[in-house]
Amino acid sequence: MARKSAVVAALLVLLVISFLAAIGFGAVRIPVSNVLSALFGGDSATAVDKIVLDLRLPRAVEAVVVGAALGVAGALLQGALNNQLASPDIVGVTGGAGFGAVLILVLFPAQVALLPIGALIFGLLAAALVFAIAWTGTSRGTVTKLILGGIAIGALFAAGTTAILTAYPDRVPSVLFFIAGGLTSDGWHDLKSVLPYFVVGFVAAVGLIRPLDRLALGDEVAASLGSRPQLIRLAAGIAAALLAAAAASLAGLLAFLGLVVPHLVRMAAGTSNNTYVIPVSALGGATLLLIGDTIARVIAAPTELPVGPFMVLLGVPMFLYLLRKAD
Amino acid sequence: MPVVLEAKEVGVQIGATTIVEHANLELAAGQLIAIVGPNGAGKSTFVRALSGIQNATGTIAWNGRQLAEVRGRELALMRAFVPQRALVPPGLTVRDAVTIGRSVHVRPWQRAGDEDRAAVEAAIERVGVAEFADRQLTTLSGGELQRVQVAVALAQDAPVLVADEPTSALDLGATVAIARLLRGLADDGLAVLLVVHDLTLAAAIADRVVVMSDGTTVASGTPREVLTRERISAVWGVEASLEVSEDERTALHVSWLD
Repeated sequence: MARKSAVVAALLVLLVISFLAAIGFGAVRIPVSNVLSALFGGDSATAVDKIVLDLRLPRAVEAVVVGAALGVAGALLQGALNNQLASPDIVGVTGGAGFGAVLILVLFPAQVALLPIGALIFGLLAAALVFAIAWTGTSRGTVTKLILGGIAIGALFAAGTTAILTAYPDRVPSVLFFIAGGLTSDGWHDLKSVLPYFVVGFVAAVGLIRPLDRLALGDEVAASLGSRPQLIRLAAGIAAALLAAAAASLAGLLAFLGLVVPHLVRMAAGTSNNTYVIPVSALGGATLLLIGDTIARVIAAPTELPVGPFMVLLGVPMFLYLLRKAD
Repeated sequence: MPVVLEAKEVGVQIGATTIVEHANLELAAGQLIAIVGPNGAGKSTFVRALSGIQNATGTIAWNGRQLAEVRGRELALMRAFVPQRALVPPGLTVRDAVTIGRSVHVRPWQRAGDEDRAAVEAAIERVGVAEFADRQLTTLSGGELQRVQVAVALAQDAPVLVADEPTSALDLGATVAIARLLRGLADDGLAVLLVVHDLTLAAAIADRVVVMSDGTTVASGTPREVLTRERISAVWGVEASLEVSEDERTALHVSWLD
């Protein structure tokens, strides 16, 4: 119990510190006192307030929401499939979102604003195809069928992405940032437009916690407890697809976060109880992405680097350390 | 004792294959019924169908209500099912697992209350796993795990316990522990439906034995009535006789090599 509480407390402290750091660090360095007065100081409109409220706050909030969404999406899928290798890739979202983004950048190069919606639509389309394959025909709703369907559809969209990039090599640089995964400082607009998907995904995730705990003891125990295993899997898959597609639309392809965060939480706290892992994965994902994004933004300033590689740099050592420690 | 489960002419088809047909059973409160039969006789499929886990035809009535009308939480409050092999996920303690069994009493969006926590502890105590309630499931032996599975079902607090071959992978000591536990639960008033291969175990603890062969229930009665030399020969194709002594010890004399 103490260990679990300690992990939550440490993550909360880290989240607050990294949130303030995310707003304080940048081309203009803003002291914490000024950050706090801009955030809570009421109506003032100094240049610092504008930087804080219009640029850095939306980006920090985006990092928190995207990180939390990917952490929860990974935890939902790993719980639903009883497979610790599951991540948003597995339901085809990553492949679909990547294809959607590339398609927009190639077909409508002047309409970059359409990119999030393209990534969202194709991310969800890919997931819908995976679910359609997994939930029709014989042995519908089984884990194997879902995973194999996800691999097939993911490969299809990945091939589509590669084909487009090969046909339009001059557009590759503009796509790279999305594929590597990175947040942008575009104010609140993008976040607002995909917020409903996040809200539905998070609410569904909370409702799925108990059914997923039942599934952890096997389909027959879940059925004994009056649940329908295939329905739980489908609902968890849809919720994860919504969260991951909305996350990809804002921050590109960061699915690694969805794979690694639930593992970090389980290994650090020593429990795989979904009542704990799902909410704490939200906290862990938010914290990790916020730290990664701040580093990516300031390490080579004024150039902003995509956050994806930093997530891997941050996540892998922690992951390997805990993997060695875990029994 | 009131009848809690009545099944008539139950059939199960999976694809084009008939697994169970013309299967009948009646179970009363406080009664322990053992379902026996050779491999592939349809025992597990039959109890899964009775438990609402497997689609079936025929009449299955729980407390007089048709199974098709009872679903979800309501069904979970009528019967608990202990599978042959439950998953053993890493990172879950015995208490976590039993708490999951109790979750059927906790409404969606609500947290478990004191009564639920007490029920979890009572189930842990009843099956004798209190001393390792905080251990991870992955560290337990097969016999300990099987008792935990029964505790998960007991936390469900249903009047009927259905157990599908709970002793099939256990050593003698662990098998006896499960046998005593299940008989004790029936003596406490629970109705117990047990699928089991071991005829000596069935004869020792069951009030009634139902024999299945080729997907059909072919006999039903007390162990002495049903497990005769002729029936064992006809159903299992083995010359063997069951001996039940006055102090309830049981033995199976098998003609192993002829």
